[in-house]
Amino acid sequence: MATISAHGLGKSYGGKPAVVDLSFEVQPGSVTGFLGPNGSGKSTTMRLMLGLDRGAGATLFDGKPFEALNQPMRHIGALLEAKPYHPTRKARNHLRMLAAANAIPVARVDQVLEMVGLAEVARAKPKGFSLGMGQRLGLAAALLGDPHTLILDEPANGLDPQGIQWMRVFLKALAAEGRSVFVSSHLLSEMALMADHLVVIGKGQLIATGAIAEFVSGSEQNAVLVRTPDAAALVPVLQAAGAQVTASEPGLLTVTGVAIETVGDLAFEHGFRLHQLSARVATLEEAFLERTAGAEEFQARPVPGPDGGPR
Amino acid sequence: MRDALAYEWTRIRTLRSTWWLTGLAVVVGVGIATLFSWGIRHEFSTRGIDETDLDELGPVLVTQLAATGEIPSVICFVLAILGIFAWGHEYRHGMIRASLTALNSRGAFWVAKYLVVGVWVAVVAVVTLVVSGAVGSLFLHAYADVFTPETWSVIGRQVLYGVLLTWLAMAFTSITRSQAFALVSIFLWPLLVESLIHVFFLLVPALRDETDILRFLPFDAGQRMVSVLGDPDSTFGNPLSALGGTVVFGGLTAVLMAASWALFTRRDA
Repeated sequence: MATISAHGLGKSYGGKPAVVDLSFEVQPGSVTGFLGPNGSGKSTTMRLMLGLDRGAGATLFDGKPFEALNQPMRHIGALLEAKPYHPTRKARNHLRMLAAANAIPVARVDQVLEMVGLAEVARAKPKGFSLGMGQRLGLAAALLGDPHTLILDEPANGLDPQGIQWMRVFLKALAAEGRSVFVSSHLLSEMALMADHLVVIGKGQLIATGAIAEFVSGSEQNAVLVRTPDAAALVPVLQAAGAQVTASEPGLLTVTGVAIETVGDLAFEHGFRLHQLSARVATLEEAFLERTAGAEEFQARPVPGPDGGPR
Repeated sequence: MRDALAYEWTRIRTLRSTWWLTGLAVVVGVGIATLFSWGIRHEFSTRGIDETDLDELGPVLVTQLAATGEIPSVICFVLAILGIFAWGHEYRHGMIRASLTALNSRGAFWVAKYLVVGVWVAVVAVVTLVVSGAVGSLFLHAYADVFTPETWSVIGRQVLYGVLLTWLAMAFTSITRSQAFALVSIFLWPLLVESLIHVFFLLVPALRDETDILRFLPFDAGQRMVSVLGDPDSTFGNPLSALGGTVVFGGLTAVLMAASWALFTRRDA
């Protein structure tokens, strides 16, 4: 069981800041998702955490920096590259080499290959591996030392739907054993199913951190939908209670700023008929896009429509 | 340090290129020695022997003629590629980050790489040179003793040259982080660049009287480490003595290794 504490991480490339004074914590027993637009500094942050990139700040794993860990694979398992191996060194030999650096018995090599479903190709050269197989080999390497902490950069890249589901169940099971799992991904729907907590960054700076439910509940996309024949009369009542109300279509109000129970109670107290009262819950994607708006490093132009205007 | 050595030892043995380069060095080295010995025996048996024919025969034979000082050692250049691959694969295949998450001491990792590759090269070079001498003895035992004290001395110096050349190639690869650039440079430098400098000094009148300084060109100096021809009057005279050559070539290697260390321990992986 290990808490990851990152304090004041910072890194610049040629004077351009990539990560700026970034601090967060990752708790054991949970999957913590690391989200951010492309170029927001996720991979740089992970490399800074592991001492691979030189920069400001410090990351402690149960109070110790990575450099101070004896046989680090027994503490931290990391997957940072899509294909971090020599293409003609057999998969099993690749893991044997990493195991040798941490006095891990060879039996464990066969065990992790079995765990990630690569036992059949253990003696194959990975130059013929698909991206997904490469990710599995990388994950096998991360698991070699049975570490208490996993740091995984886009581990689902290249995996097929079955592979993604397997990865989700696998990582959640590892977290349930008390491990700290810190995983970046751009697959927001997948992250919504997998992560318990989030660290969200944009342009190298912290945007949000905390439980995923809190992050989503804070979205402005959360609303109460009210369908009523008395819309005109109900609007001022709701506004008086502090709600923001927009009429989406005749007879349908979208209400934010108050709880669904409050809307129901007010309608009842004032004798308005309601044909629909429902909560519209934001998705992780909506919450993410809302919080990271303007924080994209690379912004695409809208594709022009047939008439030359925005599609 | 023990973990880093175990890692490097497994790394070097689990690469196919290690084995084909090792095999190539042995086959080429022993092959050249065999051809040379066969040719010399044929010459001796048909023409007879002149006493001067036996001068330096052993050192020249075991070093694949490198002890003449006229050509660089073929096997040392083949084995130096092992050194280029040692660092080149780390950067070319993105292994460096996996390596440094398995071994978090950059210093130990750096030292282990140079030690293991150096020992591997030394052992292969010793085997190749001694087997070359043994093959020469088989062909020429009726005419000369191949393994003279000077032959053993040259074997030692040739092995040292091989290790220094490999370390120089490793340091250069580590500094440039480009396997292709290092591979090209390690062959172009001695074969083309230093030859060009020689020609330049001969053709430019103002430089013609300064050719003495060319003995300090690093690969020229390196060849002096094993050369048994020429008659050096002092360590850094013209030509350089074996010790002088070792100081110049080893000095360049040491400088590049120091730069490699400084950069590797400071910059991003």
